[in-house]
Amino acid sequence: MAAVNGFTETHGYQDNTPVAAANAPVKQSLPPAKTVDSQSVLKRLQSELMALMMSGDSGISAFPEEDNIFCWKGTINGSKDTVFEGTQYRLSLSFPNDYPFKPPKVKFETGCFHPNVDVYGNICLDILQDKWSSAYDVRTVLISIQSLLGEPNISSPLNTQAAQLWNNQEEYRKMVEKLYKAPTAA
Amino acid sequence: MESACKLGILDALSDDAIHEIVESYNGFCAATETLLNGAGDLSVGSEFVVYVHRLCKHGVESLVRDHFLRALEETFEKNGAFKFWRHFEAYGNLSEIRDDEVQEVLCKALEEISMEKQYQEKCLSMLIHALQSYKESITEGRHNSDAERVQLFSKYQFLASSVLMATLPRHFPEILHWYFKGRLEELNTIMSGEFNDDAENQDEDYINLDEKSKASNRTGQMEIDECYHQGMFSENNKLVKNIGKVVRDLRSLGFTSMTEDAYASAIFLLLKVKVHDLAGDDYRSSVLESIKLWIQAVPLQFLNALLAYLGDSISYDSVSSGVKSPLASRPSSFYPGIDTPSEGLVRWKLRLEYFAYETLQDLRIAKLFEIIVDYPDSSPAIEDLKQCLEYTGQHSKLVESFISALRYRLLTAGASTNDILHQYVSTIKALRTIDPAGVFLEAVGEPIRDYLRGRKDTIKCIVTMLTDGSGGNSNLPGNTGDSLLEELNRDEESQENIGLDDDFNTDDKQAWINAERWEPDPVEADPLKGSRNRRKVDILGMIVGIIGSKDQLVNEYRVMLAEKLLNKSDYDIDAEIRTVELLKIHFGESSMQKCEIMLNDLIDSKRTNANVKATISQLSQSQTDAELGNTALPMDILDSTIISSNFWPPIQDESLAVPQPVEQLLSDYSKRFHEIKTPRKLIWKKNLGAVKLELQFEDREVQFTVAPVHAAIIMQFQEKPSWTSKNLAAAIGVPVDVLTRRINFWISKGILAESLGEDSNEHVFTLVESMVDTSKNGGDSGSCEELLVGDEEGERSTASAEDQLHKEMTVYEKFIVGMLTNFGSMALDRIHNTLKMFCVADPPYDKTLHQLQTFLSGLVSEDKLELRDGVYFLKKQ
Repeated sequence: MAAVNGFTETHGYQDNTPVAAANAPVKQSLPPAKTVDSQSVLKRLQSELMALMMSGDSGISAFPEEDNIFCWKGTINGSKDTVFEGTQYRLSLSFPNDYPFKPPKVKFETGCFHPNVDVYGNICLDILQDKWSSAYDVRTVLISIQSLLGEPNISSPLNTQAAQLWNNQEEYRKMVEKLYKAPTAA
Repeated sequence: MESACKLGILDALSDDAIHEIVESYNGFCAATETLLNGAGDLSVGSEFVVYVHRLCKHGVESLVRDHFLRALEETFEKNGAFKFWRHFEAYGNLSEIRDDEVQEVLCKALEEISMEKQYQEKCLSMLIHALQSYKESITEGRHNSDAERVQLFSKYQFLASSVLMATLPRHFPEILHWYFKGRLEELNTIMSGEFNDDAENQDEDYINLDEKSKASNRTGQMEIDECYHQGMFSENNKLVKNIGKVVRDLRSLGFTSMTEDAYASAIFLLLKVKVHDLAGDDYRSSVLESIKLWIQAVPLQFLNALLAYLGDSISYDSVSSGVKSPLASRPSSFYPGIDTPSEGLVRWKLRLEYFAYETLQDLRIAKLFEIIVDYPDSSPAIEDLKQCLEYTGQHSKLVESFISALRYRLLTAGASTNDILHQYVSTIKALRTIDPAGVFLEAVGEPIRDYLRGRKDTIKCIVTMLTDGSGGNSNLPGNTGDSLLEELNRDEESQENIGLDDDFNTDDKQAWINAERWEPDPVEADPLKGSRNRRKVDILGMIVGIIGSKDQLVNEYRVMLAEKLLNKSDYDIDAEIRTVELLKIHFGESSMQKCEIMLNDLIDSKRTNANVKATISQLSQSQTDAELGNTALPMDILDSTIISSNFWPPIQDESLAVPQPVEQLLSDYSKRFHEIKTPRKLIWKKNLGAVKLELQFEDREVQFTVAPVHAAIIMQFQEKPSWTSKNLAAAIGVPVDVLTRRINFWISKGILAESLGEDSNEHVFTLVESMVDTSKNGGDSGSCEELLVGDEEGERSTASAEDQLHKEMTVYEKFIVGMLTNFGSMALDRIHNTLKMFCVADPPYDKTLHQLQTFLSGLVSEDKLELRDGVYFLKKQ
């Protein structure tokens, strides 16, 4: 725990503080004020959805929740030839009112044993923090997370146990299988 | 009480008295016997009276009465009832009943029994008289006499009828029925003669029918018929009098209700036959009036006369007691016309009319399908049915029967979509007459709409009906197409009228008028469906309702319009402009915008085309002829249609290499266009359009209007008379398979001949120079001015609406897979709502829940989805 906290404090691109992120995104993303801006955000998200649906990328998917286009559910399949092959992870994405100038808040809903994912599902990924650019979209974010699964950043882990185990891929695979619980219907 | 008293008297009597009583009683019994069986011999009368008086004196008056009544009963049973029934024994088997015989026997039997009864009544009055005279002698004044008389007579009446009833043979009601039936038919024959004279000028069809029915009734009554013109009136009167007598006799025997049943059923039977006769299978004339006239003329006359004869018709001014004065036949104002119809007669009239309405209605409802098939001609029948239904209110019967007829006869795989649509339109028009509010129409239309939704070519047929005068299929009867275009026009007129009203700014007045016109919905109306749509039955609206959304319809229309416009070689689009204007009124400007742009493209094309050609010819004049060379083609053979492709339906693109001179012409044209319309550029769709060409052979000249690809093919044969399929395909830049398909046109025309080349995969096409070789096709080539652009499959220049729909559905499929991936499982309505919410791009999601369900079950059957417990899952791959 101390290690995690210590890491948190020292980490440069800490926007997703674990405690704050647990509840905050949902509240922030409640239907925004009826500004002119929110209209353009709406449009942007709609066109991103359309692009994502039509892209036909396999292994990644996301869709807005029934009544709120600022809250999405995402799904990522573990890539082939990685220890995560055959697994599927559910994510939640929540978009700020000033999207795409700020990154969406993304976390795992399904438990994921991964060096850069903590027990709450928070993800440590640069493009979701300081390296965010408005050129990214839902699709690129999902692809990045998918590739992060197979290529973790061991040097700055959120889950030190996973980071240590990463070198032993066979053991790691066993660990993933042991901890994996397929996402259920939302 | 009385008997106890009597016994007391007996105790107190002396021997003499007893002796006297016994003697008198014996005498009384003997006298009674003689009297009752005496067959009119009243000579024992005085003796009888003496005995009665003597017995009364001793106080055994009741004994006298009882014995006399019992004697009456026995005699009546023996002399009356037994003989009476014996007359009918022969008719136990109903099939042997013969009409005239029945009449005779019944009359005779009734006469006999009535005589017997009258005689008995006479005897009874004698007794009463004797009793009364005794009473008068002791009290010296009349007292209670009338009451006693009434009591005894009613006792006797009751006694007689119970004797008859107790011995009633089972077939007697049937005999009565036959009797009345026969009499009514006779009457009908007489009446219809007169009726015919009246109706002669009105309706010739009717007379023919009637003549027929009369002929069938005429057998055996020739003597009446021959003189009916002179003797009819009296004949008629006599007949009714006879019937009246029979009815009266029957009544006096206590058969009142049985008689009424018999003649009522006979009348109804006759009426039914009459209605069927008159209505038949002819829907072109209204029969309701004739039926009403007939009811007035025959059954009502009969009843009127009968009731008048029986004295019932005056029921309100004198209380009739059927027994008392049956012979007081009133001189009735008899025919023609009933001056003051009695209450009973009015009731009969209503009953008969209701029955007629109901019979006709049932008849028409059973044949409604046929009636609607020849609707515009059968409108009189519809009008009749409407009146019947207004009277009987059995609309639900119509709905049920018609729906089942539709299911059985129309909504089957064998019926073409066009036919179904036309029947639907006819149904709407016909039922609109019956039920202007459209409530029943809604119920009837539902199965048709549901069925049509399942057909793929529905939209296309509808659009064709909307726009094309001749209908989609040229081999259908010519009257098919007029329906919807007409409807469009009609709608326009009515809308213009509404517009006028608005201009007058009489809103309040109009509202008041509307309010006054308001009528409640029929009780059968489904309250869930709301009544706002019912105010006006809108055919176009109902047709569009089949498809679900007008966008689809407009889309299909656009595709068809594009096809039409692209095939035009002149710029004459007046008809199309008119149609689009009409559709605009109905569907709104915005939905028809693209079509308008397409039309504007055509108009612009005409101008631009003229402009380009004018300026190009100036240029070419200034150039030297040598530069152009011999092969150059004059610009005026080319007309272009310039389209704004964004607003047109997707256009099929096919590569095609046109011959060099034409290519040159096209590029000159587009160059000039670019100069005039900078920065716009012209991109040719070389596979579209039409080419008029003339082929010159050694012995003949033939003209064709063909698609560019056909022209390109045949022009290659200008250079050399024989090509292999491969080389030819390369020369005109199309795949070999396309070439082999297209070249069939020329082969079928006898211009080219096909043969196998050295390589067995290669076909060689050779130009047929001489007419002799193609003599078998000579007949065809005479009429070569044909437009054959669209006759082969896959030759449409635009993607069909069906393809577009498929494309749309692919988008939805991706969305559905997307949401199911992320939410696991979803119910139908959640998927529907989610699509509505988020699938907002072009084209927005506009399907109904039902359509979505159909689509989803398609996906389930393709093994893409799974449906469990009402929720959809992605199928695990």
